[in-house]
Amino acid sequence: MHSIFKRFREPIFVIALLAVPFVLFFVRAKKGRDLNALDRAVIFIIAPAEKVITLAVFGVVDAWQAYGALWGVREENLKLRRDNLKANQLEQQAAELKLENDRLRRLLDFVDKQPPARLLIARIVAVGASPHSHTLRIARGTDDGVVKGAPVIAPEGVVGIVSQLTGSYADVQLILSPLSAIPAIAQRTRSRSTVKGTGDIARCKLTYALRADDLQEGDVLVTAGGPGFPQGLRIGRAVNVVKKSHGLFLEADVVPAVDFSRLDEVLVVLDRAPAVPQGVASGPGAPGSGP
Amino acid sequence: MTWRAGFVLLVAAGLAILESVIPHLFHLRAARPDLLLIVVLYLALRDDVVQGAALSAATGYLSDLSSATPAFLYTFLAVLTFVVVRTAGAALRTEGGIQSAVVAFGATLGHSLVATLIFGFFTGSGLHFEAAPLLWSAFGTAIAAPFVFAVLRRLDASFQHADEAPGGLL
Repeated sequence: MHSIFKRFREPIFVIALLAVPFVLFFVRAKKGRDLNALDRAVIFIIAPAEKVITLAVFGVVDAWQAYGALWGVREENLKLRRDNLKANQLEQQAAELKLENDRLRRLLDFVDKQPPARLLIARIVAVGASPHSHTLRIARGTDDGVVKGAPVIAPEGVVGIVSQLTGSYADVQLILSPLSAIPAIAQRTRSRSTVKGTGDIARCKLTYALRADDLQEGDVLVTAGGPGFPQGLRIGRAVNVVKKSHGLFLEADVVPAVDFSRLDEVLVVLDRAPAVPQGVASGPGAPGSGP
Repeated sequence: MTWRAGFVLLVAAGLAILESVIPHLFHLRAARPDLLLIVVLYLALRDDVVQGAALSAATGYLSDLSSATPAFLYTFLAVLTFVVVRTAGAALRTEGGIQSAVVAFGATLGHSLVATLIFGFFTGSGLHFEAAPLLWSAFGTAIAAPFVFAVLRRLDASFQHADEAPGGLL
């Protein structure tokens, strides 16, 4: 027995190395990943390095842009003074409009049905290492009150959900991921559907949209609310709408409202964080709290 | 674990960091090189089977950890790539930069195809395949391959010199 093992040591070792991860992947393919101690330790080492590099490069770029900006500062100053005068006028008009708006809102007994959400600003330090992954790594984690499954948004719209996290860092699964599915409403027609990721880097797929719905090219899709995302956040717009002569549902693609390759910061929606950490904005008036 | 294996893992960790940071800094959407796959290719063509397979698994694990979900897909694919390239190793020559680029280009295409198939089949998300991002990624990997190969060759050369020197590395 021992001699057989010794003789076939290499194939046995390689087959085991193939079988173990495959079985683990097979068992957990449809579940999220819970990080173990080794995972956390590796991320604890790698993520700060990613953060330092990202911050350093962006710092140099900002410094260079600030230096370049000084060249045109005098002309810009004059222009800004003129703009300031115009802005003062507009501000007075806006104040009048605001008072009028407040009066009308009271008259209409307007109630903001959006539940107040606490938003945590998070800097992106890296993206998923594999070209096939659809994740972002943010410099916020459980220490900041972030929980697994927390919605992540940007001022332009929905970004994704937190899929795995450590004390100081979290990985955000983008809506482009094939594992992502978000209940949606067409803003114009109020018809319901689901926006699913496909793995494509530029678009998602619209599913369960009834063929009878009057969905058209360019229609804006927003979140339908429920246990996941707050209601009314922009997801994207419908394109390539195809209504076949048969079938229950129509076919359409969705171009996300957010350009994920150009994000620097995102907002994590916190439901029940015990304390307000640094950088937390709250209420519907906070940036990104509404559509 | 040998010192050389430890240093290969360090290089892999460094490349994992670069692979995560570069696309973010340069706003790359599609042309993202798979630097860790190049490490697996190098190991398949240069290393002995047991150590190479183990290091490939560790490299895949690093890739897995940064890809969030689902777990262990890239660990499995890294070892599978190691086995396939190792088996075809006699036909593959990577002495020069162009050869390593060609091998990396082909391997990335194969790796991406298998990843898409397995991912779609086992996660129930269905098969969705797009040629353009795949080709861009393979192109990026091909460009990066000679540099990564050069780094790893240099690492191996330094260990060879150390072994040849009286008293070894330490």
